[in-house]
Amino acid sequence: MNKARFIAELRRTLGRMPEKERTEVLYDYEEHFRMGAADGRTEEQIAASLGNPRALGASYAIDTLLEMPKEGGAVRAASVVRAVFASVSLTFFNAIFVLGPFLGLVVLMIAMWAVAPALALSGVALFFAPIAGAILPAWISTGGLSTAFLMFAGIGLAGLGMLAGIGMWQLSRLFVKMIAAYVRFNARVVARRK
Amino acid sequence: MNIQFKKGVLELCTLVLLCRKDYYGYELVQAISRNVDIAEGTVYPLLRRLTKEGYFTTYIQESAEGPARKYYQITEKGKEYQAVLLEEWTRFIGGVNTLLGGEATA
Repeated sequence: MNKARFIAELRRTLGRMPEKERTEVLYDYEEHFRMGAADGRTEEQIAASLGNPRALGASYAIDTLLEMPKEGGAVRAASVVRAVFASVSLTFFNAIFVLGPFLGLVVLMIAMWAVAPALALSGVALFFAPIAGAILPAWISTGGLSTAFLMFAGIGLAGLGMLAGIGMWQLSRLFVKMIAAYVRFNARVVARRK
Repeated sequence: MNIQFKKGVLELCTLVLLCRKDYYGYELVQAISRNVDIAEGTVYPLLRRLTKEGYFTTYIQESAEGPARKYYQITEKGKEYQAVLLEEWTRFIGGVNTLLGGEATA
C-alpha cells in the first residue's frame, strides 16, 4: 500500500469526523510519511509499519464516542442504556405477567361480543316464529307456545341482545382505554419521563 | 499480546518518554517501536486523545532538515497522570514477577 492509498482509506474511515479534526489527524500521518521518506524508507514500508488504516480510523471514531460525555453525551448514553434495560425487563414482565391475562381478556371480549348479536337474533327469530309457523307449518313448529308469548319473549330477547351490545360497546371502550394507558405507562418507564 | 493491555502499556510508554523531553510524532513513534512491537500508527490516536484530555500540549517548530514538526509537550496534569500509571504498573509487574517466580504463598 502506498501513501496515497493509506491516506485515502484513513480519510474514508474517519468519515463523519468534523473537517477540521480530520485534516489534523491526516496531517499527523502525512508528516509521518514525510519523515519516514527522509529516513530512507519507502512508502510501502512506512504504510506497513503504521498498520491497518481502517483500524486506526476506527480508534479515532471510538475516541470521539468516548469524548461525548463531556458534551452531555454521558447523560444520553446512560439514558439509552437505562431505556434498553427498562424495555428489556418490561418485555419480560409483559410476556410473563401481562400477556396471559391480556389474551384471556381478549378472548372473553370476543365471546361476549358474539353473545350480544346471538341474543338479538334469537329474539328476532322468536318474534317472527309464529308468522313463519303460520306460513310454513310443515317447516316451523311453535311447539304449542302461544303467539303472544313468543312475540313478547322475542322482543325481550332482542332487547336484551341490544342492551348486551351497548354494554359490550362500553366495556370494549374501557378495555381499549386500559390497554392504551398501559402502553403509555410502558413508554413512560422506558423514556423515564416524570 | 492482549490488545487492551498493549494499549495501556503504550499509553504509559508515551507518558514516560514525554516526561523526559518533548518529542515530535515520528520521533516518539520510533522511540517506542524500537523497543516494543506495535503498529506504529496506533501512537497517533493515543497522542490525540491524551492531548484532548489535557495531558499534552502541542507546538509547531521549524526544523533545519525539512518541514515543520509538531512537538508534544507534557503538562502538569500529564506528569501527575504518568506518576499514577507508573506506580500502578510497577505494582502490577512486581506482583506478576513474584507470582511467576513462585514466591507467592497460598
